[in-house]
Amino acid sequence: MVSQLDPTPTDGYGTSTSSLQRETEDIITRHIPTQGTAHAELQKKLHFEFLLRNLRQGFPERYTSQDASQPWLIYWTLHGFSILGVGLDDQTKKRTIETLLAMQHPDGGFAGGPGQAAHLLPTYAAVCSLAVVGRPGDGGGWDAIDRKKMYDFFMSLKQRDGSFLVSHHGEVDVRGIYCLLSVATLLNLLTPDLLAGVPEFLATCQTYEGGFCNASFPGWAFEADDPEAPSDSPRTYDPSAPRPPLGEAHGGYTFCATASWVLLQPYIKLYPSAAGDSGSSSTPAINTRALLRWCVQMQGLPIELGGFKGRTNKLVDGCYSWWVGGCVVLAETLLGVAGTHESVPEEHHEENDEDGQKAWDDADDSLFNRKALQEYILCAGQHPAGGLRDKPPKPADAYHTLYCTAGLSAAQHRVIPSEARAKAVISAWNASQAHAKDGTAYAPSSDAERERLDELRKRIFAHAMSWSEEEGTAVYVGGAANRVNATHPLFNLTVTHSDGILSYFYGQTPPSRYANKPATK
Amino acid sequence: MSELLADDPEWADVVPIRQYEDVNPIAPIFYSEEYKDATDYFRGVLKTGEMSPRVLRLTERIIRMNPAHYTAWQHRYKTVIALKIPLEQELELMNEIATTFLKTYQVWHHRRLLLTALNSIDAAARELEFLKTVLRADAKNYHTWSFRQWILAHFNKEGRLWAGERAYIEDLLEQDVRNNSAWHHRFFVVFASGVRLGDEDRDQVLRRELSFAKEKIALAPNNSSAWNYLRGTLEHTNTPFSALAVFVEPYTTSQPPSRGTDDVVDLDNPPPSAGAQLPATPALEFMADIYEQEGGNATGKAVEIWKSLANEKDVMRKKYWEYRIRNALSNA
Ligand SMILES: [Zn+2]
Repeated sequence: MVSQLDPTPTDGYGTSTSSLQRETEDIITRHIPTQGTAHAELQKKLHFEFLLRNLRQGFPERYTSQDASQPWLIYWTLHGFSILGVGLDDQTKKRTIETLLAMQHPDGGFAGGPGQAAHLLPTYAAVCSLAVVGRPGDGGGWDAIDRKKMYDFFMSLKQRDGSFLVSHHGEVDVRGIYCLLSVATLLNLLTPDLLAGVPEFLATCQTYEGGFCNASFPGWAFEADDPEAPSDSPRTYDPSAPRPPLGEAHGGYTFCATASWVLLQPYIKLYPSAAGDSGSSSTPAINTRALLRWCVQMQGLPIELGGFKGRTNKLVDGCYSWWVGGCVVLAETLLGVAGTHESVPEEHHEENDEDGQKAWDDADDSLFNRKALQEYILCAGQHPAGGLRDKPPKPADAYHTLYCTAGLSAAQHRVIPSEARAKAVISAWNASQAHAKDGTAYAPSSDAERERLDELRKRIFAHAMSWSEEEGTAVYVGGAANRVNATHPLFNLTVTHSDGILSYFYGQTPPSRYANKPATK
Repeated sequence: MSELLADDPEWADVVPIRQYEDVNPIAPIFYSEEYKDATDYFRGVLKTGEMSPRVLRLTERIIRMNPAHYTAWQHRYKTVIALKIPLEQELELMNEIATTFLKTYQVWHHRRLLLTALNSIDAAARELEFLKTVLRADAKNYHTWSFRQWILAHFNKEGRLWAGERAYIEDLLEQDVRNNSAWHHRFFVVFASGVRLGDEDRDQVLRRELSFAKEKIALAPNNSSAWNYLRGTLEHTNTPFSALAVFVEPYTTSQPPSRGTDDVVDLDNPPPSAGAQLPATPALEFMADIYEQEGGNATGKAVEIWKSLANEKDVMRKKYWEYRIRNALSNA
């Protein structure tokens, strides 16, 4: 159906944006298989070899630009293996743990490389990598994470507007907030001091388009905090002062802000009036409908094979498969449309080949086009020599290899919070263990505050543990041989890895995810 | 560049530190000899905390090979401050690096630290001019735009810095009406950052912005950037979408209205251009939103539009349009 591949309308008024768009559409169109996408194949072996080469032999010189992102190179590679369903041998794990620990900063947090300054972004990458390869005990890496110092490092980056610098003398950026919140959640480092003002800050980063930008401007609302202001000026927050977003709505920041917002839900509910120093009493809010609209608007047309863009009027790019495609389920969750209904009969599972289109539509509750996104990744995202990429004819790289496969995973599997799972986790909750495992040495001001913090810890843990694949809703373009593993929509780890590290650092033994399922053959 | 510090007598007193001492690292990067040498000495310098002119040269050397080396930038900044290097001189020196590596975060952050420390309106004005030259090469560069907005916000009270912004945006949109960064910048200047000098009459500002957006939509009716701006303007000012029903209507039909030469031009409602490809999807979405806001019997009309989007005009977002139908019907 040629009409389905209409180019983006230019209204007879070409500009540099529309001509670049047209060129890209031409290139992508050439990657649409003549026999259709039904047999598009995920080149698992080639991608596996690409990742293995990077891990074992190392990265070519052009990756010098990633010298300050070494934990990321490791995380992209390790989690890439996990998504492809590949485990690692003990020797490789040991070497990886040693490499990561060499990047832990003596004053807390992880750095981009040994001897570099600690930074929130590599801290996330290192901790997630340790979630994949590490374990408790000697040489396992987990007990070698200095959580107290990491918490102190986090607090040393905190700003009056609730945000955090990414490093000392660094910038404020919602990617840093996401990395900090993910790590603090995984490692049991959440305190009201750490979280004060964070929701308010995030809310100010949403732009008129519905997506989020990298940071807002704090100055006017917090002017009275200016150290250079006369000391007799009242140190109050002016809630009427604008805190404008700096930069336009963007896929990467939108994912980070949205995932942070989801992670913060228990905090926002339990600490409704705790707006940090800001003194504001209204509950911070974002426009979730606008967020959802923005996310789905980023999906390209059929002529772009349904890949995702990172900004309005920019080009599709494989990495936004995860940042924006993976964000849709988070927006659905916030809107309450990601139903928690359990257990559609298991047989429904793989009937989506050949004439499976109908079964597909019935099974698919997602609000973006999961089938099209898979087509983009399979047909345009794969480099013929292995690894995945932004778009043809670009080379593959470690970053796009992970975020394309993670995006493919998000398009294949619908992972949503399960109320039943949350209840099961809570029923096995051991508060004193969780308290004993707290990594911060934070002292609540009263017994009531202690109880509230215990409650926060429990809810955060239960929520993080509750994400599960909705039964019977997996869809695989090109057939089940293209299946990759599901990944946690908040942390981008497999649930096996996030369950493992969470359980350890909260001192919990939650019931097995698979215990109450009927045995299937 | 090719000479190694290891061979340079000036550096003989510094003990270089290898990156990995007793670890055989997984996934190593194959650095050039020059890079390895420079970063070995940099680690040595960090250990002693040295801040000196040669450290400035060393950090520049590293930054030129890897502008994302945030620790090198961090130490450079501390050194610049400690040595009381004239900050304007440092900004100048960084101009070329900024244009070469404009996609790197750290490049812009360094300038921001310098401008903060300088606290000079003249320097900020020069910086805004410099950013124009950078945006000429890359009109949608995220960090450059974000930095421009930071400068304006930081020097909020300096009307002179803000005065030219709207004209500048109009220039950029003249060149490319689909430049979403320029549209966002307009929203920043007009709505998100308070009331600018001359913009005190908010009703007049609203009228001005609506006509601006409408005129740009007429030029290229499928341009989402302009539609998003229009929506943002209405939402920000709590103006119901229905206020624009008369304008939007012609964009939702498949034929542009014929335009005789002697037609009276309705300036409030510019019609679609002759080349317009209609109906424009963003116009259909907008019209459905008007009906949804109206509620009651109009909901049915919204549903009709969403159905045509889902099944025909915007099938990629089928699931989303169907969700909108379910949502509207359950709220009706
Ligand atoms: Zn990308």
